[in-house]
Amino acid sequence: MAAPLLEVTDLRVHFETEDGLVKAVDGISYSVDRGQTLGIVGESGSGKSVSSLTVMGLTRARNAHISGSVKFDGRDLLGASDEDLREVRGNDIAMIFQDPLSSLHPFYKVGKQIVEAIQSHRDVSKAQAYDRAVEMLGLVGIPEPRRRADSYPHEFSGGMRQRAMIAMALANDPKLLIADEPTTALDVTVQAQILELIERLQSEFDTAVVVITHDLGVVAEMADDIAVMYGGRIVEQGRADTIFNAPEHPYTWGLLSSIPRMDAPRGEELVPIPGRPPSLIHLPGGCSFHPRCPYVRDAHRRVEPVLDPVGGDPSHKVACLLDSATRRKLWQELQAGIRPEDARQDVIEEGAA
Amino acid sequence: MRRSFNWTLILSVLLALTLGVAACGDDEGDEGGEQGTSQGTPAEGKKGGTLTALWTDDVDNIDCGITYYQMGFQVCSATQKALYGYEPGDAVNAVPDLAESDPQISEDGKTVTVTIKSGVMFSPPVDREVTSADVKYAIERGFFNTINNGYAGAYLGDIEGAEVGADPGTEIPGIETPDDRTIVFNLAKGTGGTLVGALALPLSAPVPKEYAQEFDKQQPSAYGQNQVATGPYMIENDESGKAIGYQAGRRIHLVRNPNWNAETDFRPAYVDEIDMPQGNDDTTVASRKILEGQSMINGDFDPDPAILKQVVSNQEELLTLIPGGAGRWIAMNTTIPPFDNVDLRRAVVAGFDREAMRLTRGGELIGDIPTHIIPPEMPGFEEAGGLEGPGIDFMSNPAGDTELSAEYFRKAGYESGKYDGTEEILMVGTSDGVAQKAAEVAKENFEKMGFKIRLRLVTQDSMYTKFCNEPKAKVAICPNVGWLKDFSDPQTYLDPTFNGDNILETGNVNWSQLDVPELNQEMNEAKLLTDPQERADAWAEIDRKVTELAPAVFWLWDKSPTIRSENVIGAASGYIGTWDLSFTSVN
Amino acid sequence: MAAYIVRRLLWVIFLLFVVTLVTFTVFTVLPAADPAVLRAGRQPSPELVASIREQFGLDDPYIVQFLRYIGDILPFLGGDGFNFGYSYQSNQEVLPQILDRLPATMFLTVGAVVLWLSIGIPIGMISAVKTGSWLDRLTMGLALIAISAPVYFLGLVALFLFDDSIGRFPLLPGSGAYQDAENVLGKAEALIMPWCVLAAAFAAIYARFLRGNLIDTMQEDYIRTARAKGLSERRVIFRHGVRSAITPIVTLLGLDIGILLGGAILTETVFNIQGIGRFAYEAIVRFDLPVIQGTVLFGAFFIVIMSLLVDILYAFIDPRVRY
Repeated sequence: MAAPLLEVTDLRVHFETEDGLVKAVDGISYSVDRGQTLGIVGESGSGKSVSSLTVMGLTRARNAHISGSVKFDGRDLLGASDEDLREVRGNDIAMIFQDPLSSLHPFYKVGKQIVEAIQSHRDVSKAQAYDRAVEMLGLVGIPEPRRRADSYPHEFSGGMRQRAMIAMALANDPKLLIADEPTTALDVTVQAQILELIERLQSEFDTAVVVITHDLGVVAEMADDIAVMYGGRIVEQGRADTIFNAPEHPYTWGLLSSIPRMDAPRGEELVPIPGRPPSLIHLPGGCSFHPRCPYVRDAHRRVEPVLDPVGGDPSHKVACLLDSATRRKLWQELQAGIRPEDARQDVIEEGAA
Repeated sequence: MRRSFNWTLILSVLLALTLGVAACGDDEGDEGGEQGTSQGTPAEGKKGGTLTALWTDDVDNIDCGITYYQMGFQVCSATQKALYGYEPGDAVNAVPDLAESDPQISEDGKTVTVTIKSGVMFSPPVDREVTSADVKYAIERGFFNTINNGYAGAYLGDIEGAEVGADPGTEIPGIETPDDRTIVFNLAKGTGGTLVGALALPLSAPVPKEYAQEFDKQQPSAYGQNQVATGPYMIENDESGKAIGYQAGRRIHLVRNPNWNAETDFRPAYVDEIDMPQGNDDTTVASRKILEGQSMINGDFDPDPAILKQVVSNQEELLTLIPGGAGRWIAMNTTIPPFDNVDLRRAVVAGFDREAMRLTRGGELIGDIPTHIIPPEMPGFEEAGGLEGPGIDFMSNPAGDTELSAEYFRKAGYESGKYDGTEEILMVGTSDGVAQKAAEVAKENFEKMGFKIRLRLVTQDSMYTKFCNEPKAKVAICPNVGWLKDFSDPQTYLDPTFNGDNILETGNVNWSQLDVPELNQEMNEAKLLTDPQERADAWAEIDRKVTELAPAVFWLWDKSPTIRSENVIGAASGYIGTWDLSFTSVN
Repeated sequence: MAAYIVRRLLWVIFLLFVVTLVTFTVFTVLPAADPAVLRAGRQPSPELVASIREQFGLDDPYIVQFLRYIGDILPFLGGDGFNFGYSYQSNQEVLPQILDRLPATMFLTVGAVVLWLSIGIPIGMISAVKTGSWLDRLTMGLALIAISAPVYFLGLVALFLFDDSIGRFPLLPGSGAYQDAENVLGKAEALIMPWCVLAAAFAAIYARFLRGNLIDTMQEDYIRTARAKGLSERRVIFRHGVRSAITPIVTLLGLDIGILLGGAILTETVFNIQGIGRFAYEAIVRFDLPVIQGTVLFGAFFIVIMSLLVDILYAFIDPRVRY
């Protein structure tokens, strides 16, 4: 098998702040193959954006301690110089962001901004770059692209702006596209269009994609692999269909059941995960999810779980102190519609007895 | 009248000669004999060069028919030939300037006749000989409501037909010009003796009617910006007559009048150009520039006490002190108790430390402590007792005599020897510069004598126009007032300031509001005298009587301190109280 | 845009009218000295004062005086217009005197602007980019001192140190040199100290302001995008950061220029520069109402016009702004 395009190993990103040491990313590892899609899912504050920004080298600061390894196409990115990283950004790896209105410079026309992205990596004339920009705008489905290139970002609608961002990101034919919450700021109807667009372009240009989101539903269609992050760590990781059909982490269950489903009976309550994301400075001891886990036991407060493969499927890893059999039973109960507290009663209390 | 006038002329010539001899006898040799605190005409001066005078402000008005302040007079005495003028060194006796000889006053004082010289020319662009009609017009225009000269009404208002506020072009029938060189003034009252003194003021300098009347029709008159000259200098102008040498608030630039005939003039006019840049607000910096530079003199400011101290110790020869016929006093409002009590007023004067007051302006060299009212270098001064004074006891101790003061307080009814009233007495002074210090020292002196004083400090203009000059403001004490003669006649010093008939509802300068009917009568009669010596004697008597009534604390007879660069041969004029530009030269 | 400009110009006229009215009221209805009596001299007889009052029209009702003043200024109302009255002090026409002094004020302003922009902008940028460094702390500390020291004080200190006639280290022409200077070069030399003194506080303000703005701007999302595009850091800072951060400075600059053109009173007084500010100050001290009104009107005019210009300029700088 060919080497992965992006390989992240034990990445840690800690920030020294006045309030303490923020462990934004605390030892995560994942990889992305050419043309594949990875979905990184988690709440805000889980460290999902930081990890991707770090891949691009955009978190370098005096108070940042970055360790681990990030290899892109065989090259080490963490130790690369600023010069080298700039060559990679916008060229080999591109990134689009959540709010396209604030992410595009309000004073420059869209075409000009795309031209800028092109000309910083390709030795072409302005006219050539402009043509390419117009071409890209057409490719992402913007009507009258030449006229649109001559407009300012605030003159676009939300969806079109995101398309324009995508056009800009893909202008130099990058090998990897990182999309940080690409649809969160958009209308529901437009969301689907954008995701579809990304999928289409991905297959056209054979680009690998990392989608970062807090909404599992977003990556349901497109992701090949999914990593669930919590408190700066990956708590569950595996192929998409495995995660959706046979998830084995209580947090993942929580995420799944908080997605509104079309086929759920009307009037059925959404079950949000109680509590708030943990502080990345003072993580709860033991399993960092334990304060919010319906199935917590005493030991969970003291012992840290390790991300281990589930028996029988080396690509599926879970970091949970409950054993696999227990987890599967719990999942079945939840799927049957039983509430978490009752499921806990059934499985854990009785299992213990 | 004519006889006595000639006598005084001869005497003053002798005096001048004596001074000149004394001056020449100095070691300074051909520098011209200017020393420290004396004044006089230099024996000779070098022709040519540019003299620079540093000013802070502008003239009050560039039109010689409107100006009423020293600095305006200084400029006009260089650019205009009034009927009479003064030489530096003699501020007492006027000499004929445009006039050919002394004025002739009739016995009853109602007719004054003046003959003017021939061969005096107007500067370009008028370029013609001056006639008596030009003098007539010059005086008439002072009464126009587009000009409103400040002293025309006061000194020339008795001319038949003269009315303040007349429309431009109005003629005064009382001024006749029987021929091109004769002017006859016909007066409704016998005040010819006063009128002749006023003929030394710039209003009598000729103005060409055919050229000026268009300007005088404008409201306000624009003649000042387009004036012509008859004196040795003129404000630089262009061919149309516009006075480009006058930049309001910035600069006055005088050049030689090409039509000036030296033979018709007593002035030597040494320098070729006089430059007067304004806006030198920091007088310390300006003073240093003058003292350390070349060809400069001070303009409209007095060097401040700190500079004076320094100059006196290091460069005494660059300082000249000019008695200017001016004095300062602290007026007590005789209509407001307790100052309606004459003995209390005498007590105040007796106990006042006038030397401390003088110290605020620079101490001894800045002037003498008065023993009466009429200041030095004026007719009537010697007659009133000179520096020694008439021997009035409460005026004889400059540092204050506490015992004598206590005596007078007791006479006034205050057993303790001090004032014991508890009411707050309003004193309004000036908040600008050294004047503020004077006001504060005054306050201290009053308080020492038991008065409770409420001192309000305002700007100088405000102090005059809103408080001290307004009787209805009921200010009890005005510490920063003073007076300056208009021309060399004691009437101009005593009449506006202590004649009860001159108390005005607004713009009043009889600050003490002294109103003694017998004295008023005496003053009004003195105005009708035509013989200068009689005048001097009469006003000297009035001086003594007013002083006896102690309407004010007279604390200074001013000497104007003037400074010059070391290459300037300065001639100081007691008439204008500063340098005479037509006599000063540069080496 | 054209409609907007027209609307604003109408507003300018209205504002100037109100300013004139307020000034007129303050100095006419509540005067501290009677100009007629001041002008009359030392022996103001009632007839003389009455004549002067008539000469200046002071006896007319205030409304009439005010309307006459306005009427004299406007060109289409009878007379030639642009007559701002005559100084009570010197009887000279006010407008030519103001225009005569305008070049000095303009020269002072322009020089100071150039100076403080060339100092303040780079310092602001460097401090923003190197926040927290010793350079940043040093410059911001100095800026605080420069802002706190009053212009008057700085001016006097400068004269004390560098005035070539009385200073400790005689280097530069000092107080009063401006009017002695003959040519443009001489005038510029005379203005070196005033420029520095005037520019000091402004440079400090602009540096601090730009620093704060730039720091904030660099936190914006589009900066992150720019970096993610692989642009050089320099391009990011200038084309993306400074370009945004500098826009409020344009507004500030416009207003500051407007205010200074009305006359930097303190600087002009300390250094004896015959500009409009100095002229206004002298007039106020002497209650020369026509001059006061003229200078206030001029000052207001500049401020209002600069404000309009700046707003129009803003539309060109920030495409999101539409009138």
